[in-house]
Amino acid sequence: MSTALRLTQQEVDPIGGVAASRLVLTGSILSAATSIGLTAWHWDEVGSPLAAFAGVLFVVAAGAVASVSALPARAPFTVDRLWFVVALAVGGAIAEYVSTVGADRYLYDNYGPLVVGVLILSLAPFSTWISLLAAGTVAAAVLAILAVGSSGGSATQANAAALVAVNSVAVLALSAAGAAYSATIVRESLAWQREANAIALERDGGVRAGIVRSVQQGRVSVLSREVLPFLAGVMSAERISVADADRARELAEMLRRALKAGIESTWLDDLASSIEAARQVPIAVNDPAATAARLSSEQRPPLTALLSWLGSAERSRSIRIEVDANGSGALVRIVAVVAADAGGAAPTRRDVERFLAVARAVGVGGDLEVTRENVRVEFRYDA
Amino acid sequence: MTLGLPEHLARASLSRALASAGHAAGAVCLASAMVIAVASIVVEPIGEAGPDRTAAIAASVLIAVQAALFALAAVHPSVTLTVAYLLGGTAVVYGLTVLVMAPGNGFETTNNALLAMPRTALLLVGGAGIGSRIAIVWATLGWGLGEAATFLGAAAAGAAWAPSAAAAAGLGIVVVTRVFDAMTRSDGRRETALHRASQQTRELVIRHDYELRAIARLHDTALSHLVAIAASGSGPVDERLRTAISHDLSLIVGRDWAAEHAEDADAIGARTGSTEGMSAPGRSAAPRGAAERGADPTRTGRVGPTATVAAPGGGVPLADALGVARDAGLAVNVSGAPEVLAAVGPRRRAALEAAVAQCLMNVVRHAGVDDVEVALGRADGEVTVVVVDDGRGFDPDRVPDDRIGLRTSITGRIEQEGGRTRIWSRPGVGTTVLLAVPEGGE
Repeated sequence: MSTALRLTQQEVDPIGGVAASRLVLTGSILSAATSIGLTAWHWDEVGSPLAAFAGVLFVVAAGAVASVSALPARAPFTVDRLWFVVALAVGGAIAEYVSTVGADRYLYDNYGPLVVGVLILSLAPFSTWISLLAAGTVAAAVLAILAVGSSGGSATQANAAALVAVNSVAVLALSAAGAAYSATIVRESLAWQREANAIALERDGGVRAGIVRSVQQGRVSVLSREVLPFLAGVMSAERISVADADRARELAEMLRRALKAGIESTWLDDLASSIEAARQVPIAVNDPAATAARLSSEQRPPLTALLSWLGSAERSRSIRIEVDANGSGALVRIVAVVAADAGGAAPTRRDVERFLAVARAVGVGGDLEVTRENVRVEFRYDA
Repeated sequence: MTLGLPEHLARASLSRALASAGHAAGAVCLASAMVIAVASIVVEPIGEAGPDRTAAIAASVLIAVQAALFALAAVHPSVTLTVAYLLGGTAVVYGLTVLVMAPGNGFETTNNALLAMPRTALLLVGGAGIGSRIAIVWATLGWGLGEAATFLGAAAAGAAWAPSAAAAAGLGIVVVTRVFDAMTRSDGRRETALHRASQQTRELVIRHDYELRAIARLHDTALSHLVAIAASGSGPVDERLRTAISHDLSLIVGRDWAAEHAEDADAIGARTGSTEGMSAPGRSAAPRGAAERGADPTRTGRVGPTATVAAPGGGVPLADALGVARDAGLAVNVSGAPEVLAAVGPRRRAALEAAVAQCLMNVVRHAGVDDVEVALGRADGEVTVVVVDDGRGFDPDRVPDDRIGLRTSITGRIEQEGGRTRIWSRPGVGTTVLLAVPEGGE
């Protein structure tokens, strides 16, 4: 199965997925309003008020499940949630059919197909195009059976094929729209990622050369400039003096310390130093076992982005990072003390949730607690 | 990389995705309309007064025309084709209204399912241009033209006109999604700056890796000499120490890992300057860095011809490693087929040979023996080198933290090239190190 078949927008474009959660809420509200409005519209056709009421309840439940399931905190959205939502919405359509059975003059003013279609469409950013199409087809099949069953009370003369087409066009059209959206956005995102990877590889040589040069000017080079001439001097000398021996001891100790510091530190310490220097925000990293090194290349960027964001725009007064082993994975706890004068830049739950959503997309668990004074974020990385 | 679309691409990509969604929905509307028209031709009506078959044939032709124009506008969303579709579709909707609203079909107004389908397909044109505003303009235009055509058609057929609830709902969905997209698209992406963070992290990790390797390299080669000098006190320089320092200096300056990577950068012309200190890619035994500081270790003439970087892709197999051993007085018995090294790429070969050199250096320093076996082979897509000594041996589980030669200079180096290392050793029994790298590579 091709990669694009198995991926959703939420997986390949997590920020887009976070934004889309509000669209699901909008779709759910519209669905509920449609079911209530159209039930009132054809109330004279309703034979069973209880079934009509149940139909609306089913639609409201489907919308609620969709909205809650699509919340960033509950990411990733799974296919069983899509089927649950569709089942509830189809339940609403069936209840509507029962409520007007034998007296349904026009299929056209039934809300069933529309709400099923709208809910499937609103879940498009969270589902694969194939699952959206499958859900739409199954729902349309159920609605087709209802269409044939309700033909007795129809005001217009039409054959069964026409009735089936009329009753399933809304759900099929909206499902097809959802599937096309999902397929296109996943395809475009993957194409961009391939391009970005190719560019990154091309740039790699230049980046490495730059890093090599800057490393040469760093602590290693300073150390080597001390050690190498000393060894060369001893090598070419006839005798070793007491001063040489003392100097050798001193250099050996420096070398050990540098190596120990290098082994105990990770990219996270370097990141913290870099943000601290650029933003004047004190950042303390407590990672005695260098556990941050366990994070994979995909898992690091969300953490980097969050720390850079917390450290910018004078949002935080200070940041503390604790890293512990979690089995063979890692547990990273971040506590940012919100600056008293952060004002509009103060972190909100929704702001920070975006970073967690990206982290979740690469299999990182996360919890978040935002108060006026602090932002606490916990990332759980599995090996 | 699962970072999603960057801000500058999100607008166009989301716009195209939403246009595709509209096209798919429009196609289903037209397909359903066609199914109804064709069914009206071939299937007997349920009631007594069914639709006129001639009218149904005319309707199917009109729908086919609209579908053809729709496909053209969807595949090539230019202004010309969009306008052509809107005008052609308007004419089709007018014709369909006249046919559908003919007396006897049972429709009270134009707000019915049959006329909703072509009208909805008309507003789902997508249209030329990228962005929510232009898309809403095209959709509104399509909706307006559809309603106008229906109004005129109803007037011609003498039927009552009513706006289509389904088409209005379709327009509503288009407007809601487009407005929502415009409002939520960029802020989150700009604020999170994920792609910049990804690049930054990548550089941090590479930098840290380089620093650690560079320190480890210096540590592996220089520390024992410093300790030896510190322990020796004042007195003449021991000749073995002098030889060992000479070797290690050439190795440090002449074959640094960081320098190996800098070679890649050289290849793309990115390298511009500094080659002092620990970086001297491909440099020979005479360590320029040291020479520049007025302390040329080659003055003593003890540096052998071994410090040239292991010739990538050619040269004498294991020349460097064998040079290390020879200068240290270690006899190396090579067995197997040294030419198997030609099966790996230049960089991978250089890494493998450097790891073998480090193994031999460890034998010289720690094993306390005068000879060592080196066996080369090739099997299962891998080139393997085994270094065996009968020396002191050690407990691999109890290697002190500050002895990172094995971990970094041998294992790390081989793993960097996608290979693997196995070490068997016991105190008093000797040590066997297996280095295996996949064939090919850079």
